[in-house]
Amino acid sequence: MPILHRPLLVATAVVYLLVNLAIGLWALRRTRTPKDFWIAGQGIGALVTGLVTMAAAFSGFVFLGGPGLTYRIGLSSLFINLPIGFTSGLLGWSVAKRLRLLAEVREVYTIPDALLSRFGSRATSGTAAVAILVGVVGYLGTQLLALGRLLESVLGLRDWAGGHSLAVGVAIGLAVLLFYSVAGGALAGVYTDLFQGTLMILAAVAVFLCAMKAGGGLSGIAASIAGSPRFGRQFLEPFGRTPVLTALGFYFVFGIGVLGQPHMLHKFFMIKDPRRLRWLPLTLGGSQILCLLIWFGLGLAVPALVAQGRLPALAQPDDAAPLFLLRFAPEMVTGLAVAGILAAIMSTADAFMNIGSAALVRDLPKAWGRRVQRELPWGRIATVAVTLAAACLALAYNDLIALLGTFAFGTFAAALAPALAVGLNWKRVTAQAATASIATGTLLNLLLEFLSRQTFFPALPKPPLPHGALLAAVSLAASFTVLLAISALQGRGGREELPEAVSAVLEA
Amino acid sequence: MAHRASLLLLALCAPAALVAFCVDAAALRWVAALAVTTFPVALITLGAARGGRLNGLRGPLLVLWIVLAGSFLALLALPGGGPDSLFGLPLGTVLMLFVLVPVPFILVCWAYAARFGGFILRDEDLERLRRLRKDGEG
Repeated sequence: MPILHRPLLVATAVVYLLVNLAIGLWALRRTRTPKDFWIAGQGIGALVTGLVTMAAAFSGFVFLGGPGLTYRIGLSSLFINLPIGFTSGLLGWSVAKRLRLLAEVREVYTIPDALLSRFGSRATSGTAAVAILVGVVGYLGTQLLALGRLLESVLGLRDWAGGHSLAVGVAIGLAVLLFYSVAGGALAGVYTDLFQGTLMILAAVAVFLCAMKAGGGLSGIAASIAGSPRFGRQFLEPFGRTPVLTALGFYFVFGIGVLGQPHMLHKFFMIKDPRRLRWLPLTLGGSQILCLLIWFGLGLAVPALVAQGRLPALAQPDDAAPLFLLRFAPEMVTGLAVAGILAAIMSTADAFMNIGSAALVRDLPKAWGRRVQRELPWGRIATVAVTLAAACLALAYNDLIALLGTFAFGTFAAALAPALAVGLNWKRVTAQAATASIATGTLLNLLLEFLSRQTFFPALPKPPLPHGALLAAVSLAASFTVLLAISALQGRGGREELPEAVSAVLEA
Repeated sequence: MAHRASLLLLALCAPAALVAFCVDAAALRWVAALAVTTFPVALITLGAARGGRLNGLRGPLLVLWIVLAGSFLALLALPGGGPDSLFGLPLGTVLMLFVLVPVPFILVCWAYAARFGGFILRDEDLERLRRLRKDGEG
């Protein structure tokens, strides 16, 4: 990453971190029960729900990785974002209402809790908890590495920490994250996410406007790219530089897969009044669209500037955002963007810290038929444990964490989306079908991704799939097929009697 | 009726998508495009149906499906993304940016908010659930 070590940027980063610490201190005094720690006391409104769900969903990838991906493969990268048009509505209709209503009739604080209430099966909830824990470690590890690299660059850590600069960067970020997450759990997480989500939107819009201006407007940008031998018109075409199957796979995984992302779904338990869900599609979808402007803006502007000769060709596509900020954005906008990127990384990380610790303290013990008595102190300890484990793995096994992190979204999607999206809306889905689907999604996705990317065992074959096929799309489709097939085969005879309250939720 | 139709669509789309993503055949790309655009509409229908009915949502969902499926089929059909259009972008890209995102977004936000109190979550639903919770605790 280019060096972002400038006085204003350092000050911005420090102020940003201090604000998070202050919110953590405020939350510490208000976090008194497990309900406060896991679901922020179930006291947030619609606007906050939408904003914090967006903040949890959108990691540093939107700000750094997205523009870099576009630089590499052209506007086909937008197939990842196109589902934004309907995903907030899909979440609302398909899962949000019923998850929140389950929390109305049962003590439901996590997704495995919801699965246990719906299916009455510890096997189902336990399998989900394992899938979540695996995904959390990978996702959290990549966020911590990204955080470390950004702080390393902004704070100029290489100058005084030498070869340990990355570890120091991770440690600084970790310290802030741990303080507010341990102190206030989800309550701190929600209000830091609110601050972070607001920063993300402001940064995204500001950088988008700068990018359009620097590139010469959308028409000028398009003309520069189309006329360039390096990029050409193909860069701008929907399927120009990407196989059609990859683009369709992106749309499928990121469109349907949101229904299985625990760090997003977990926010729905926190809403105070289920009737406020009316505004969820607007607040969530609207904030997502605003945030994605940075992906689109930098994704087009940077290649245009390279084509115009005003930027050198990028050696590392992921340098697209930092290089643009350093050379073309006013200092204040760069400061805002640095805060926005830190916010994006940390808002996702703290969500995973909370659900990872819940998996250890609440979900897995319940799957074994046990209940941890003092959830609040153990939750705090587990938050530290999960986070430190992810950080150590990330620093020690960079490649493994990158492997786990990049397919975590797909793993969650394949594991959880079918059991939730269909299971919460069709009474005939049995615990066996749900468990089989979760296991299929998790194991198949892990296996396919491992075989595809691993270099540890060269003799192992690559997955026998067509060129461009997205592995997560295969796992997601397989997982849905398994759930529907088993449910159909079991027929009405396999249907389990649901408790009246749970049945009422499915009918509401 | 709506509930069954959505399940049937999902039962068709899931294996169709699986085959399309696993088998290398140009014709299957059209199948994949139809599957990935029908999937969300089928899931929304499954979640929205009450007593097998959609109560005023049938129209918006049909429009949503037409926009999604129609746009993707057009994207596949346009050679090279189509001729240059708005802002000098290929027509297919204009479709992606100015139809595939804003039209579904406006449609789902409006349909969800407008139908919420009367159909998606009624006060009597909430009262019933709260009563059941109290009875269970008692």
